[in-house]
Amino acid sequence: MNAMTTTAAPVSNAHPHQESGEIRLVGVTKQFGSSYAVQNINLTIPHGSYCCLLGPSGCGKTTILRMIAGHETPTSGEIYIGDDMVVGKPPVERGTAMMFQSYALFPHLSILDNVAFYLKMRKVGKDERRRRALEMLTRVQLDHLKDRMPAQLSGGQQQRVALARSLITNPKVLLLDEPLSALDEFLRLKMRGELKSLQDELGITFVHVTHTQPEAIALADMVVVMDTGRIDQADTANVIFNKPTTPYVARFMGGQNVLSGTVESSSGDLIRLKSADGAIFETKIDSAPATGTPLSLSVRRDHVALRRGTSAEEVNSIAGTVEATEYQGSFVKVTIRTANDIFVANVSDRAYFAEQVDTGDKVVASWSTDDVHVLSKVDTDAGGDSHLEGGH
Amino acid sequence: MAASNPSYGPRPWTFYVLALLFTLFVIFLYGPMIAVLVLSFQGPSASLVFPLRDPSLMWFDELFNPRRTGDVVGAFNRSLPLAVIVMFLTVLISVTAGFAFRRRFKGATALFYTAIASLIVPGLVLSIGTLVTFRYLGWSATWYTSGLGAHLSWALPFGLLIMFAVLGRLSPSYEEAAYDLGASKWQTVKEVVVPIVFPGMIAVALFGFTLSYDEFPRSWLTVGSKNTLPLEIWTMTTNVTSPALYALGTVTTIISFLVIALALSSIILIQRKRSRGK
Repeated sequence: MNAMTTTAAPVSNAHPHQESGEIRLVGVTKQFGSSYAVQNINLTIPHGSYCCLLGPSGCGKTTILRMIAGHETPTSGEIYIGDDMVVGKPPVERGTAMMFQSYALFPHLSILDNVAFYLKMRKVGKDERRRRALEMLTRVQLDHLKDRMPAQLSGGQQQRVALARSLITNPKVLLLDEPLSALDEFLRLKMRGELKSLQDELGITFVHVTHTQPEAIALADMVVVMDTGRIDQADTANVIFNKPTTPYVARFMGGQNVLSGTVESSSGDLIRLKSADGAIFETKIDSAPATGTPLSLSVRRDHVALRRGTSAEEVNSIAGTVEATEYQGSFVKVTIRTANDIFVANVSDRAYFAEQVDTGDKVVASWSTDDVHVLSKVDTDAGGDSHLEGGH
Repeated sequence: MAASNPSYGPRPWTFYVLALLFTLFVIFLYGPMIAVLVLSFQGPSASLVFPLRDPSLMWFDELFNPRRTGDVVGAFNRSLPLAVIVMFLTVLISVTAGFAFRRRFKGATALFYTAIASLIVPGLVLSIGTLVTFRYLGWSATWYTSGLGAHLSWALPFGLLIMFAVLGRLSPSYEEAAYDLGASKWQTVKEVVVPIVFPGMIAVALFGFTLSYDEFPRSWLTVGSKNTLPLEIWTMTTNVTSPALYALGTVTTIISFLVIALALSSIILIQRKRSRGK
């Protein structure tokens, strides 16, 4: 450690905004007492990207954010921002700024003085800092409220103030801890769009912690899906949604059905699997595993066709009983209880109303071979984890 | 027809019972104070009971230019500085201890109960204990040594309890936000934490002041040969049989009210500033 810091290149803070906002976590572990909040995390977030850390409560996503911010010190491992190893440095030296979940606006200061706080700490003169704070408030369209106190603002306005207060530090990296969770649905969608365009405009790295899948998919260039203290998959939203690597990611992102079976036969890049209850699945795979190997697959909910019927004779189909139907406007979510699992089909409203099914009906769900995706990990959690089920 | 006239119901009988109870409570609370206030303007008849005859200010004059009463001005000149010192020390110690207790440390609970336990020790016993200890150590008891210590043993636990409640509601994210924006530890305390908990500090100051200013049992043997105000009043009730006693009651009550009014108005002022903007 010492050798590394002494040989590191001299740090220049002259133009922090021109420095790289790439974040690199190398073998980062954080322990609280005897339990691990995160364990051996390796992650590179490219400069200027919008990264979402996604996972259920207690998965360690906020701990990672706080370690990048400097509000938590890792038990072991290294964190780099640009070329600097930042562990042990205060936030301002790291070039990070954090927006807190509750915004943490200082209740005793006006909006203008809240935004000017950073400049006041740097001993910038009163006129100068008020002028610059007003510029920043104008940027978030709140200059007309500059003399209000935080308690007098709506949630959306408070969030803009918090943004302005963070951005006045001219950060390389903006860290957002569940920034949209305190807002109502309408405002959340509006602010979501504003965050995205703000990031485009500034070109700095945004790291955004959320437990909402649609939020991550809508915003992120890079989605990091976390399970208890580990990263399960880090990739673009498109890949995470369509090609999840693990059953956990497939289930957590919603939108996917996870199926398991053992390899029966293979011909070329085509393999056949047999599930525990005898259904036959077919999929394409680069290198066919040996016969008898257990394997898990995922099929997108909206790539499934439904018909009435009692037995799934054909390949790539599964039979079951309709447990629930939920109208979603453009599609209908049909939940089917199969022999030992739950299978969900999102049927387009047109197809659904052409041949309507109801609770208790026997149905067969089927899909095409091209729509099957092979998971890199075998599902060990069949039938369970419906509480992880995400968006539609 | 009956259905078209909705009845919102008469007040239940419990309302009247509780209203009566509350009225009695208020009378008992303020009645004696008003009686003393009125009788302090008693005329030269020097009667200690109603009715009030020939209202005058003569007993206030008697109070400040004593001929027959005790050393009221001297007692006041000890009580006021003592209350102010207790007030400052209570605020200082409660606030710093409150911050220490925000971080969990070994023995925190035991220490907390040790600090609070002095509330249940009878004041007179504590007074005797303090005097005996001072005698044993060969120190003389005065209001600014043993008296101060005895008063702090009373005011500090209250201050601590208030500060714990105030700091318990202070989200750590304010301090983190300040750190995030480049504030040093000292700047965080000065610019963020103290302004936010200031109303709580005023409440602690108020308790510190009034608990000391009014304290009798813990002053009894600890202030030495020279009395504080409550002791002086008590002495007067046994020696002095003139309405000067009432005049003294009026003056001390007014001073207490002034202190409370000062504290409350500063809290209201701060809160108004926060909610309505400058």
